[in-house]
Amino acid sequence: MIDPLIALLVAGLLAGITALLFWPERGLVIRWRRSRQISERVLAEDALKHIHEHEMKGQPATLESVAGTLHISRDQAAQLLERAEENGLVSMDAGMLHLTPDGRNAALHIIRAHRLWERYLADQTGYDEAQWHGQADRIEHSLQPADADALAASLGNPTHDPHGDPIPDATGQFVAHGGQPLTAIALDHPAQIVHIEDEPETIYAQLVALGLYPGMTVRLIEATPKRVRFWANGDEHVLAPILATNISVVPLPQTVAVAVEDDSETLADLKLGERGEVKAILPRCRGAERRRFMDLGILPGTVIAAEMISAGGDPTAYRIREALIALRSEQARMIQITRHTETAA
Amino acid sequence: MTTATSIPLKSPPQTRHGDDATPTPEDVLALARTLRWEIGGDFHQTLMETIYTDAARIADRAVTRSGEKQRFDLDRTIDHLVTSRRWGIPIMILMFTLVFWITITGANIPSQMLSDLLIGKIYPLLNSIAAAIGMPWWLSGILIDGMYLATAWVVAVMLPPMAIFFPLFTLLEDFGYLPRVAFNLDNIYKKSGAHGKQSLSMMMGFGCNAAGVVSTRIIDSPRERLIAILTNNFALCNGRWPTQILLATIFIGALAPIYIAGLVSALAVVGIAMLGIIISFLMSGMLSRSVLKGEVSTFSLELPPFRPPRVWQTIYTSLIDRTLYVLWRAVVFAAPAGAVIWLIANVTIQGTSVAAYMVNFLNPVGILFGLNGVILVAYIVAIPANEIVIPTILMLTVLLNGISGTGQGAGVLFQMDSAVATKGVLVAGGWTLLTAISVMLFSLLHNPCSTTLYTIYKETGSKRWTTLSALMPLALGFAVTFVVAQVWRLLSGIG
Repeated sequence: MIDPLIALLVAGLLAGITALLFWPERGLVIRWRRSRQISERVLAEDALKHIHEHEMKGQPATLESVAGTLHISRDQAAQLLERAEENGLVSMDAGMLHLTPDGRNAALHIIRAHRLWERYLADQTGYDEAQWHGQADRIEHSLQPADADALAASLGNPTHDPHGDPIPDATGQFVAHGGQPLTAIALDHPAQIVHIEDEPETIYAQLVALGLYPGMTVRLIEATPKRVRFWANGDEHVLAPILATNISVVPLPQTVAVAVEDDSETLADLKLGERGEVKAILPRCRGAERRRFMDLGILPGTVIAAEMISAGGDPTAYRIREALIALRSEQARMIQITRHTETAA
Repeated sequence: MTTATSIPLKSPPQTRHGDDATPTPEDVLALARTLRWEIGGDFHQTLMETIYTDAARIADRAVTRSGEKQRFDLDRTIDHLVTSRRWGIPIMILMFTLVFWITITGANIPSQMLSDLLIGKIYPLLNSIAAAIGMPWWLSGILIDGMYLATAWVVAVMLPPMAIFFPLFTLLEDFGYLPRVAFNLDNIYKKSGAHGKQSLSMMMGFGCNAAGVVSTRIIDSPRERLIAILTNNFALCNGRWPTQILLATIFIGALAPIYIAGLVSALAVVGIAMLGIIISFLMSGMLSRSVLKGEVSTFSLELPPFRPPRVWQTIYTSLIDRTLYVLWRAVVFAAPAGAVIWLIANVTIQGTSVAAYMVNFLNPVGILFGLNGVILVAYIVAIPANEIVIPTILMLTVLLNGISGTGQGAGVLFQMDSAVATKGVLVAGGWTLLTAISVMLFSLLHNPCSTTLYTIYKETGSKRWTTLSALMPLALGFAVTFVVAQVWRLLSGIG
């Protein structure tokens, strides 16, 4: 019989090697497969995307900016762009890069594929929003135009990705969100978030953590070069201006001015026996979850009473349109309500 | 956002070619494209809200509600009692203990009767008929010793507990109590990324994993449902309880003084079942954070009003839908398994049976995991039904070790009249306390039976999830038994 100590050691070693190779997301096999995906085509496509982005901003891209964005050396970038020029995708003019019509079409397709995929991940899967961008960055290079069209059709031809960016349609047309940076609007004036920039990732993650989403109403309180103070989501938020510029808003007519401060009340704030009327389902609740809420009849105007708390302390049972439905606290926090002052009979 | 009413009012200029020109299809499409951007992405929701508002208005106008005040209050009283912090959990434990107790005590007698009838009476009768009509020995061997006996075994062990457990469970469900259990336990399940209703499918899994897998249909969130399906096998099923009880009694209970032997073996069995529950939580958490994290997850749990259970209807449907369905599937899979068991014991190559080749080949592997070749072969051929694992082990042990004076012949399943005699055979086959513990662990942690696998495939429609549901517990079982066996040997100093 094999010595048990040796057997254990060998097995532990084998388990360790297997984990090292096949660990999801971080294993060597998956890393190797990913590194192979970063082919020249992928780099070229990313370059086109970058040039397009700069054209939209009205400040043409340069060799340096391409090299910087793609994390490649200047020589590599020069080679890449040379080949793109030979293929008639890019034209260079005094150091400024411009897209040819063909190049623009290619760039728009990549952008369309990216944003459609983000929409798909947001609406039809359970992936966390921190993962949308990275996954879409990989899939955008393998989605053929026909695939993108089929995906768009199955999603109901969405116009915007979950960050508020417009999705170009099959002909490459789109309407920009037309927002301005949060720092640029008038003080004490209601505005709606139309877009939250999802790059760089760390800044986006901070904004998401604050609970900011496209579609949300905000009101600027103070904007100095040092800090930006604003109301949103029923809370006062303070951001560094560099972060705040990643939020784009459009001003709303003054009449829309709701008392933003009262928005903090959600279903989760109801005590047993209290009732509230649904004001809205928060924008960050989307996809299947949102559809489920609506299927249950949780819509603006519905009156909901909190009736029981589980013996385990968490799900609370609510009386919704005569049915008793249990919702978890994190779900209840996505439903904004106005409290009815009189308690339920 | 542009409101829906403004759409028809806008008539973009490009549709007007002349005063009375009809728009071409291209114009309409172009108009649709521009309007799409104006409407924005939320119009589906706006549409739905409008439909609901209309529906609610119509309903409010047309429906009058008669006051069902009395019932409603009784409902509330029961609800507050069964979900209260103080009484909720004790009531639940009481209810389920009662259900299990009724099942176990109630199933013994019919199980024995069925066994007497199917194996004690019909089996010899079939054999004598076969002899009378001059059936060749190999044909009667495959048909009667193999297929009939295995099927009869599965039916005798499986039918009575299921015929009692499922109706009882369905009655609780019909009364409306089970959703409250899910409601009470949800907070625990939430921590491992699962749905409170998984407690119910797991309970059902204690009866039969195939039925447990079917019962996950009550979980309407795709991710949580898959978790419940993939971990249902960790609920020790009806086919495995007898194995656990037998081994715990003859190997673990025997260690203790006689007056607490029963208690010790009972604790060992409960310990294994608890281990299964703990592992199901751990695996649920791992699955929801790894392979299943892309699946959609939405929680909702409806607590229907209590109502008096419809007893006869419930018994009828649970017998037809659950018991007979599962039994039929088991029979379909058990009969061929019986034939295979008979064949490997009787087909010989150069004077040695196929079973002996398999056992000898697998024996070194088995030793590594604290098992032996016979046990591994028994688990391979008994994939269709866990009920026949122990009979197969006994048959193979007797056959291959040349133990005389017991057994019914090559390929014929049997069980011993007494636990002591069973232990005698097993010890003669080289079993130790470690073997018994390893088999108990492996019996909890191995691939689901083929009935369950087939059901998982039917329910998920995916080869991938079916494969995972088979390999995950198997890998876990080998890992656990390996570590236990090696550590055991290390500590006890047996090289």
